[in-house]
Amino acid sequence: MEQMSDQDSPLRSRTDPAVVAMVGSDDIVEVTFELNGTATTLRCSVRWTLADMLREKARVTGTHLGCEHGVCGACTVIVDGEPVRSCVMLAVQVEGSSVRTIEGLCPSGELHPVQRAFHESHALQCGFCTPGFIMLSVGLLEREPDASKGRIRDVLSSNLCRCTGYRPILRAVRSAQREMSQ
Amino acid sequence: MLAAEPKSVGRPVLRKEDNRLIKGLGCYVADVNRPDQVYARIVRSQVAHAKLLGVHLEEARARPGCVAAFAATDIPDIAQKKIPVRITPSRLDQFALQTPLAVDKVRYVGEPIAVVVATDPYVAEDVAEDVWAEMEELPPHLDPLSAGGSVLHEMVPDNIVGDIDTSNGEDVDGLFRNADVLLHQRFSIHRHSAAPLEPRGLVAEADPQTGRLVVWGPTKVKHFNKRVLASMLDLPDNRILLIEPDVGGGFGPRGEFYPEDFLIPWLALRLKRPVKWIEDRAENFVALNHSREHVIDLTIAAQSDGTLLGFRCTDWCSVGAYVRTTGLTVAKLVGLHLSGPYRWRGFSSKVIGVLTNKTPLGTYRGPGEVEATFVRERALDILAAKLGLDPTDIRRRNLIPAEALPYRVETGPRSETLEYGSGNYPAMFDRLLANAGYQELKDEQARRRELGEAVGIGVACFLDQGGIGPFEQARVVAEVDGTFTGYVGVASVGQGVQTALAQILADEIGVSVDRARILHHDTDSIEDGMGAYASRTTSVGGSALVLAARQLKDNARRAGAQRFGVAEHEVELRADEVWARDGRVVTFRALECEASARFETSAIDFSFGSVLATVSVDRGTGRVRVERYVGHYDVGRAVNPLIVRGQLEGGAAQGIGGILLEELAYDDRGQPLCTSFMDYMLPTLSEVPYIETAWSEFPSEDNLIGAKGAGEAGIIGSMAVIANAVADALDPDRMVVTSTPLRADRVLGLLRASSSAPPHGISSTLDST
Repeated sequence: MEQMSDQDSPLRSRTDPAVVAMVGSDDIVEVTFELNGTATTLRCSVRWTLADMLREKARVTGTHLGCEHGVCGACTVIVDGEPVRSCVMLAVQVEGSSVRTIEGLCPSGELHPVQRAFHESHALQCGFCTPGFIMLSVGLLEREPDASKGRIRDVLSSNLCRCTGYRPILRAVRSAQREMSQ
Repeated sequence: MLAAEPKSVGRPVLRKEDNRLIKGLGCYVADVNRPDQVYARIVRSQVAHAKLLGVHLEEARARPGCVAAFAATDIPDIAQKKIPVRITPSRLDQFALQTPLAVDKVRYVGEPIAVVVATDPYVAEDVAEDVWAEMEELPPHLDPLSAGGSVLHEMVPDNIVGDIDTSNGEDVDGLFRNADVLLHQRFSIHRHSAAPLEPRGLVAEADPQTGRLVVWGPTKVKHFNKRVLASMLDLPDNRILLIEPDVGGGFGPRGEFYPEDFLIPWLALRLKRPVKWIEDRAENFVALNHSREHVIDLTIAAQSDGTLLGFRCTDWCSVGAYVRTTGLTVAKLVGLHLSGPYRWRGFSSKVIGVLTNKTPLGTYRGPGEVEATFVRERALDILAAKLGLDPTDIRRRNLIPAEALPYRVETGPRSETLEYGSGNYPAMFDRLLANAGYQELKDEQARRRELGEAVGIGVACFLDQGGIGPFEQARVVAEVDGTFTGYVGVASVGQGVQTALAQILADEIGVSVDRARILHHDTDSIEDGMGAYASRTTSVGGSALVLAARQLKDNARRAGAQRFGVAEHEVELRADEVWARDGRVVTFRALECEASARFETSAIDFSFGSVLATVSVDRGTGRVRVERYVGHYDVGRAVNPLIVRGQLEGGAAQGIGGILLEELAYDDRGQPLCTSFMDYMLPTLSEVPYIETAWSEFPSEDNLIGAKGAGEAGIIGSMAVIANAVADALDPDRMVVTSTPLRADRVLGLLRASSSAPPHGISSTLDST
């Protein structure tokens, strides 16, 4: 696995049992993907999750781990336009993909409307779930700018927050939606 | 001179914490990395009760990547390294304290029996899998009502670690003899806890320059934890620095001293390398303190017009396998809060701490207060139904009237006298009912019942205790950049401490809030502090800041006068400037001003709150839907209304989840059944209703801010009000709910019970005397 061609890419190994059998759990692989708009190649163990690769190898630590079994959503990032739980996705699965994390949301320093709305609506307290909620909301509003209140509520129900009681989060996302549609 | 800076206290100042957190730039403990660090993993018991015959580490040590592996026998004097009780000691607790690793017995699933260290966190988990232990299983003791049976700790032969009596000294027997009615009822409350979204973690390192031990990750009670760690490591206090990073939710359990708080620093010293440990969620469910589990017998004596006379109560609290740092606080507060906001002529309660083979118990937001409120308010509804009274009438009849405040309650010959300070309980309760539209709700309920719907209305009243002492310290520094830093000994668990306390500091000095900054992050910057618990951070920590800021102004006046060569009364303070009469001016920062102060109090603030909820119950599935949730609270003084509202709403949401969804259940062998978010169900946006929150401000006279507790007020009435509403939905006699949780499966059982006559499982009896 030292010299990797397209044929040997981990992307292919997902579907090819012969390749899977060749890959030991401690084998180091290279993953090439776009991270917040920048071409990135990282090396990590083949069994590492996307969240761990982002946090430990790319050192973008805004993606948080609350449960590591795909329920709380604190680790939500956007892969190829879709919000995903990076704790239950393997790092190798983003080969060739575009990954956006909370750190990439305001490259110019100016807050994204969703970030600003979270601040102004008091939609965070401890802040641990916040990057996940923000990435989930950005992913939703980019794909469905006209999402109904019910649809927003349903999507936001997929993440957990222990501090706010959720209403300020719903308010923030609705307010950001109005701003983004202008 | 500029116009005076408008006061910021009382205004909804947007939080200073947010800018970092919404950009993903927070620094939680898992984000702390040190050069050359290694990763620890705790090996935990998988059985509830067993003799520990041997722990085998050879295979673990042989795995590539393993740095070290240790069991209890590798730690010198470990049997003497017991984690002490911080508050509420009890008779035999010294015989039931936990050591960092199990020594000769394991007593709950999740108890640490070994710790391994590896060069990579994934490998550390592999290494942990290689550890195996020889055990001889013993029968577990799980039911707090059976005090006998399998003994957990040799020196506590009946498994009762202690009890606490609370009594106002009146003749309760006499009251019972002369009462028109007596209500007996047994209640049980299920085990659940905080589940903060961020699991715990620690990073420890011996500073390469100084050799000092530095630990990232502690919170809540850092100064206490520093002293405990120093004592357990046999180091002087000043050789240890604890650093509090951002914290992903506290709610009580997080930040107490746990076995890992010794193990990880010990490893760093032993291995002479930085050691990082991050808990996973399954560990969190068996390692972090559980809370709330009780069986409570309550007997109430009353007159037939609903006037309350007295009560007697026994609480068996399942404290788990060891007594942890908060001692018997959870049980004690049940005894102290049962009387609540009502007038009783006499009462007497006994709370009993019973050891069980489960994760140890500790305080969780509204400890004991949630449970006492549930029991009392449920009992009042049952009594009201038996006497043909509306639930609001029995409360109005018995609430302590405004003219009786301050109201003193004796709690026992050797115990404190409680004083309920400012407030107006009946008026606030009426406000709640008016805000909710109680009469209209009753009319609507009648209409919907005719259509066959199971809809209920519940109310509950309670007292919240906050602002407890004994002290807080603060140090204020005029910085060279023109800002003011307030160092405090309280902690942040995500509540907005840096904003609310900055508002207090800015106002006291007379500058804008963006020129005030609060630092609470480490044990070096301030000598001592009690910490963040009991809804005390703003009121007690804020009072210390006010005193320090006043001292700073006094120092500036003196230094300014000296600078100008005039008497102190000849200078004037304008915000952070000292002016002489001749127009000369000097800033605090030019005078290099700094001041410290300590605020001491022996008082406890009691504040009234009341809540109303409406629910509908699906007769097919038993699912409870909370339709409305209305609260009215006395917060004393809302320093930041935005933060206060967030605390109250967040507390209510947690409470709703606590009674309707969450349970730390065990099977009959002591195996925990809920160790993931797929079986421990937390409420999502879909389960939490719009929470209607309002408050009154009856300023506290016990601190310099006027604030009372807000952090816990939101949760205290939640279990009671939902239970009362569900009982009302299921049963016109409102009796049917005497135990929690009220998950759909349990409610379905209650629905079936209440539709058959006579009802099953209802032990409530009413005697006429």
